[in-house]
Amino acid sequence: MFSYYVRLALLSLRKNILLTGLMIAAIGLGIGAAMTTITVNYMMSSDPIPQKSERLFHVQLDNWSPNQPYNEPNEPPDQVTWLDATNLLQEGRAFRQAAMGGTSFVIEPSQAEQKPFIASGRATSADFFPMFDVPFIYGRGWTANDDNSQNLVVVLSKATNDQLFGGENSVGETIVMGGRAFQVVGVIDDWQPRPKFYDVSTGPFNEVEEVFVPWSLKEPLELPLNGNNNCWKPVGEETFSAFLRSECVNSQFWVEFEDPQDADNYLAFLNNYVTEQKKLGRFERPLNNRLMDVMDWMEYREVVAEDAIMMMYMAIMFLVVCLLNTVALLLAKFLGRSGEIALRRAVGASRRDLFLQYTVESAMIGIAGGLLGLVLAWFGLQGIGGLYGDMTEGLNELDLTMVGFAIVLAIVSTILAGLYPTWRACSVAPAGQLKSQ
Amino acid sequence: MSELGPIFRALLRNKVGAFLLALQIALTMTIMVNAIHMIENRSSMMARPSGLDEANQFYLSSNGYAENFNERAVVEEDLRNIRALPGIVDVTQINAIPLSGGGWSMGLQTETGEDKPSVGVAVYFVDDHGIDAFGVNLIAGENFSPTEITYRQRNEQGWPQNIIVTEAMAKELFPDLTPAQVIGKTTYIGGDEPMTITGVIDQLQAPWVGWSGVERVMLVPQRTEFRSSRYFIRTEPGQRDRMMKEVEEMLVAEDRGRLIRNVRTMEETRDDSYRSYSALQTILWIIVIILTIITALGIVGMVTFSVNRRRKQIGTRRALGASRFDIMKHFMLENFLVTSVGLLLGVGSSIALNIWLVDAFSLPRIGWYYIPVAMVILWLVGQAAVFGPARKASQISPALATRTA
Amino acid sequence: MLRMQNIRKIFKTEMVETHALRDFNLEVEEGDFVAVTGPSGSGKTTFLNVAGLLETFDGGDYLLDGQSVKGMNDTQLARLRNEKIGFIFQSFNLLPDLNLFDNVDVPLRYRGFKAAERKRRIEEALEVVGLASRMKHLPAQLSGGQQQRVAIARALAGRPRFLLADEPTGNLDSQMATSVLDLMQEINNQGTTIIMVTHDPMLAKRASRNIFVRDGQVSEVGKEDDIVELLHKTAQVG
Repeated sequence: MFSYYVRLALLSLRKNILLTGLMIAAIGLGIGAAMTTITVNYMMSSDPIPQKSERLFHVQLDNWSPNQPYNEPNEPPDQVTWLDATNLLQEGRAFRQAAMGGTSFVIEPSQAEQKPFIASGRATSADFFPMFDVPFIYGRGWTANDDNSQNLVVVLSKATNDQLFGGENSVGETIVMGGRAFQVVGVIDDWQPRPKFYDVSTGPFNEVEEVFVPWSLKEPLELPLNGNNNCWKPVGEETFSAFLRSECVNSQFWVEFEDPQDADNYLAFLNNYVTEQKKLGRFERPLNNRLMDVMDWMEYREVVAEDAIMMMYMAIMFLVVCLLNTVALLLAKFLGRSGEIALRRAVGASRRDLFLQYTVESAMIGIAGGLLGLVLAWFGLQGIGGLYGDMTEGLNELDLTMVGFAIVLAIVSTILAGLYPTWRACSVAPAGQLKSQ
Repeated sequence: MSELGPIFRALLRNKVGAFLLALQIALTMTIMVNAIHMIENRSSMMARPSGLDEANQFYLSSNGYAENFNERAVVEEDLRNIRALPGIVDVTQINAIPLSGGGWSMGLQTETGEDKPSVGVAVYFVDDHGIDAFGVNLIAGENFSPTEITYRQRNEQGWPQNIIVTEAMAKELFPDLTPAQVIGKTTYIGGDEPMTITGVIDQLQAPWVGWSGVERVMLVPQRTEFRSSRYFIRTEPGQRDRMMKEVEEMLVAEDRGRLIRNVRTMEETRDDSYRSYSALQTILWIIVIILTIITALGIVGMVTFSVNRRRKQIGTRRALGASRFDIMKHFMLENFLVTSVGLLLGVGSSIALNIWLVDAFSLPRIGWYYIPVAMVILWLVGQAAVFGPARKASQISPALATRTA
Repeated sequence: MLRMQNIRKIFKTEMVETHALRDFNLEVEEGDFVAVTGPSGSGKTTFLNVAGLLETFDGGDYLLDGQSVKGMNDTQLARLRNEKIGFIFQSFNLLPDLNLFDNVDVPLRYRGFKAAERKRRIEEALEVVGLASRMKHLPAQLSGGQQQRVAIARALAGRPRFLLADEPTGNLDSQMATSVLDLMQEINNQGTTIIMVTHDPMLAKRASRNIFVRDGQVSEVGKEDDIVELLHKTAQVG
């Protein structure tokens, strides 16, 4: 029976080929537009580290001016001071913890023909690598001992290793960065969390850094800051050390717990820490420390661009218009066939039969529209990539989930669109329409 | 027009179909009005003048890495050499590039004290050639003199005595004073360090195009010794591309322990900074245009159906004396009615969506004229869409009336 | 009143040419009640369409009210239909989405009457057919006979010089048919010329004049001729 409905549907769709085309095009365009924008939003809001995002927490401490909050109404700064990051690292109260901040290096390759170049860098502590499940091709991250001893060690990105060592295992080699020789201890495999959750201060979809060095080197080497720096109070002395010990926020601090429940204890510890610091004349605002897991933090920092959200709403409204269009056309089409329906009813088709027949017809439009929509979404995403350039790299790819979602969205929405027209068609009385027109 | 009555009553009997179409038109109008509003909004932001002579400007960055890098000597020699090239108007060392997205900001206030309100301002460290290199106009006071230019160290906290601000910044600090009256006024940076305004320039944008204070800029008479700095260069008209190459070749030629990178024009920088704006505009235009086409085609489809279903009725009307024109008029009027109902709904939903957008995305309100313009456009679209099927309907033979089937 | 001279009407398809009417001659006087009978395919309906200006013809001449309609454009024909001819169709052809008032209103609208004039005429016409009280009803709420009465009211409202009826009782039971026919007779008595196409000999008998169409040509039927027999004969021939 089902194949009979399919045949009838095909027949009917072919009979009105232009109209069928119009409905499929409308659904396709609607799905295409919606999928393009939904994909961008989905990619922007995806969980960058799903296996442990619930156990990774970002730390905020409110060291801001007693006269005004960092952000209205009473939000603490997005980053912490170097001093607090270093102190918390020393305390080591969480399962794992990492202090970090952006920096940059001029790298002078040993081969004479290669020119010096600037590499983006990150100063961080040993736990960074196991905490964020950073994959290594060669070697591994440095140890806590390297941190403590301020050893000149470096972890390279794959691209940097390719550039400097032609992709060979470079563990044990040395490279000159900022005029000093660093020993390579590890090379990271391709790794690009999207969003780059551990530091969104300069852009949530920026590239992962090219070199990583121990946090403890920041002060002795006076590593420059590559990122945002916010101060509410003059630094005072004009030295790097004074700058690091100022109330300027420019570092990030992340902790990992074995159990998300441990967050409460850790927050209590943070409050304790701040209360202790108050005795030194710091932290003049009331206690306002925060711990947020990865996804909460991404939402708090609004990593999904407003434009992307607006576009998505527009595209979804566009899809609704396309669906209304389809409802209206299907209604007109089905009602135009009341004669045929009455005849079928008269020869013994039950309402259920007719319902199935017309639902199959709607679903077929949905499938065709969904497929067209996928193709259009692919083009749409390419178009977005072209329009936005690097900004959307990695955000404009259709994954399997989205493909499935698109097809289901198309079929479900078309069947829904066909529901009312189908119901109207099925309620045609068997006799009524046979006589005259 | 007197025919509206019966047409309207007949439509009411065919509520669902007509209502669906009206709803579609309402939504189309809602999207159209708000999308075009967003497009216009972005256009007006992109149209804000930067104050620069953008077509003839470029910049590059110079990063010292060598242990023996003598920044002061290198910068002074670079600037001298660049300035000496024919085709160059002027050059200045600078810490950040307008519109580029990265830079410094500070707060200025008119009274001392950490608890006093301060006005955010973008900071450009430039020398006495800054104004010329930017191509901005001094409207009050004086430019920096070569002797007051000092060197700023990386961790330096203090500020020089004199600054030049944009007119917008002057207005923000001293709302009641003219630019000329602002000259000599003292403002405080970092709470209590005084600085004197010695010049006001007409217009210069900050590095952040999305910042509400994008017009608020101050020029500080300092060169930086941060080991990394930028040169901002203005050329004679039409010479930019040639000079870019020449300047880069000249600077790279000598190994002085520094890297020359990022040689870019202001036009590229503007395009990059506003890329997401123009991308959003393109996308919204595509949505509006396709949407209008879909709605128009939907009307064509609906009317075609309606005509096919009513062939006999049309034949009867023709038999009863309707001319071809009468039949066309009938369908055009019917569409006009449905469209009008849709547009009336659309006025409400357009405004509602706008209110929400104002609320959620701090977009400005739509101008009142968007509503009538969108209505007229959609009326015309509706009439154009219905024209074809209506013409077909008018070709139906009156003899159809006597056919039994 | 109505004069057809050598009217020819040819339907062409790619394969065949059908002469629906050939040298068709007919003259109808003012006040006549003419019944047109004939077997199916004889050209009755074509005659009706041509007479009612619903179709054009290919040869000959047709004078309506002394005026030749040859060469008139579509708009002129529509105007003429509207002013001079009232139609009654077999399946009533009421517009289903319009109530009775608006249905009767249709030809008056095209005539361009003022609202007050239209209202007066509509009420009057519905009064004549006895349905004035149901003006706001939709056609679907009426019986077949009532619907046909509305159609007659619609035909009368424009005060046409003559009525063209196409199997006016074809979709009605005999009791309703009689009442519709009585109504038509009454209209005829008041001076309106009626041409009625029917295949029902009993109906034809009530007309003042009978004509018989066969192979697109007319023959006058005398009082003494038996239409039933004529139909029989042609059926056998055909």
